[in-house]
Amino acid sequence: MYKAVIIGGSAGSFQVITRILHSLSPNFPLPILLCLHRLKHVRSGFVEALSIKSGIPIIEPFDKDQIKPGRAYLAPANYHMYIELGNKIALSTEDPVNHSRPSIDLSFVTAAQVYREKLIGIILSGANRDGAYGLKKIKDLGGLAIVQDPEECQVKTMTEASLKMTKVDFVYNTNDIIKFLQNIKS
Amino acid sequence: MIRYEIGIVDTRNVIKTLLDDFGYDFRDYALTAFKRRLEYVINSNGLRDADGLVNRLQNNKDFIGQFLHEISPDTTEMFRDPSFWRVLRDEVIPDIARGSANKPRIWVASFDSGEELYSLAIILKELNLLDSVQIYANVFTDKCINRIKSGRLDPKDLETNEANYQRLNGKAQYSSYYTMDGNTMVFDTDLVKNVTFVKQKTTVEDDPGAVKLAIFRNQIIYYNQLLQDKVIQKLTTSLVAGGFLALGIKETLENTNANNKFTVFNDNEKIYKRKTT
Repeated sequence: MYKAVIIGGSAGSFQVITRILHSLSPNFPLPILLCLHRLKHVRSGFVEALSIKSGIPIIEPFDKDQIKPGRAYLAPANYHMYIELGNKIALSTEDPVNHSRPSIDLSFVTAAQVYREKLIGIILSGANRDGAYGLKKIKDLGGLAIVQDPEECQVKTMTEASLKMTKVDFVYNTNDIIKFLQNIKS
Repeated sequence: MIRYEIGIVDTRNVIKTLLDDFGYDFRDYALTAFKRRLEYVINSNGLRDADGLVNRLQNNKDFIGQFLHEISPDTTEMFRDPSFWRVLRDEVIPDIARGSANKPRIWVASFDSGEELYSLAIILKELNLLDSVQIYANVFTDKCINRIKSGRLDPKDLETNEANYQRLNGKAQYSSYYTMDGNTMVFDTDLVKNVTFVKQKTTVEDDPGAVKLAIFRNQIIYYNQLLQDKVIQKLTTSLVAGGFLALGIKETLENTNANNKFTVFNDNEKIYKRKTT
């Protein structure tokens, strides 16, 4: 019944993401959209680092790439990543939002508008408030909102901002997030 | 933060007004980014919503100029992707400058707020080739021409731009290309004094022809696939055989129908070479 999972993270989220990706089987039934804050001038290395232990292929998409299940799409450095109608990636060089490009809010909001109640949004550890508004938008449009337990986060700012703005469905630690994702059936 | 959010029906309504009342066709712009641009114009002009924008457009005939200026995103960075500019300087420009009877034509086909054009001009100057090429630059509005000619660009983040220039291993200091007027940076306008501006309507309609290098980075991301194909087709016919086309590093001809007309010159920097036939 769900069509996509979108995950936002910043400072302190790399290890969590690595563990989540590691836990997924190659036939995971949904696409995973990843919007993680990263250095804008470092183009290569990030996908490779995330790929080492990942159970599914990780792609840094080109503009207008088709979104397919069982793959993770990582927002490229120095671009915003939008989800377009027709299940496609669209990229943008518009101004940073929340001092961030890619901005988690923008990826989340555009994904929410396309997938509506069929979207799962997850906010992980991070040091700014980017993503809080986006998660609210997912919830407002009927999707499912999950926040990593701030107690487990290396940096709590992002998860706490999200919890403040939205009545989320679940507050999970990394193991619970993994269990939840592993239980998703196509 | 995101304030007013425009819906699809309202977006279509604005697009219809632009087409019916002004002849500007935005129907094939990529929807998500175009919606965001409309939200930006609505917010920055203190309008309430899409109806407010339509009213302003219809009741103030001068507003369309402002609108066209604001609807296209600023380039925001000098020497964005320094490795691209290095390849351009070290491989592409020497290639097109070699053995040319006439001044080779370089076309900044992007709708640029000036940063791509000035970055190119600085590189040409450092190669001592600025007077040996003819540069064409696409613009939408006179306002944009004036801004570029005045040297008063608004590249937002000085630190990033300086770092980009250093990664380029330029010959001079970044700061030698501008002066400060109060808090405003004024770039050396000699860099663009021989540029020919090509005024376009909402996309690439006119072309200079016989182009040896077309720079069109981070533009087709704002188009849907129909318009991408149309504009790339225009660029293709404008290029000479063996001419170069530069797209943004996350744009690819593989997602267009022009892929078979080009060979890949540099895959990382998305520089393509027009085939002979």
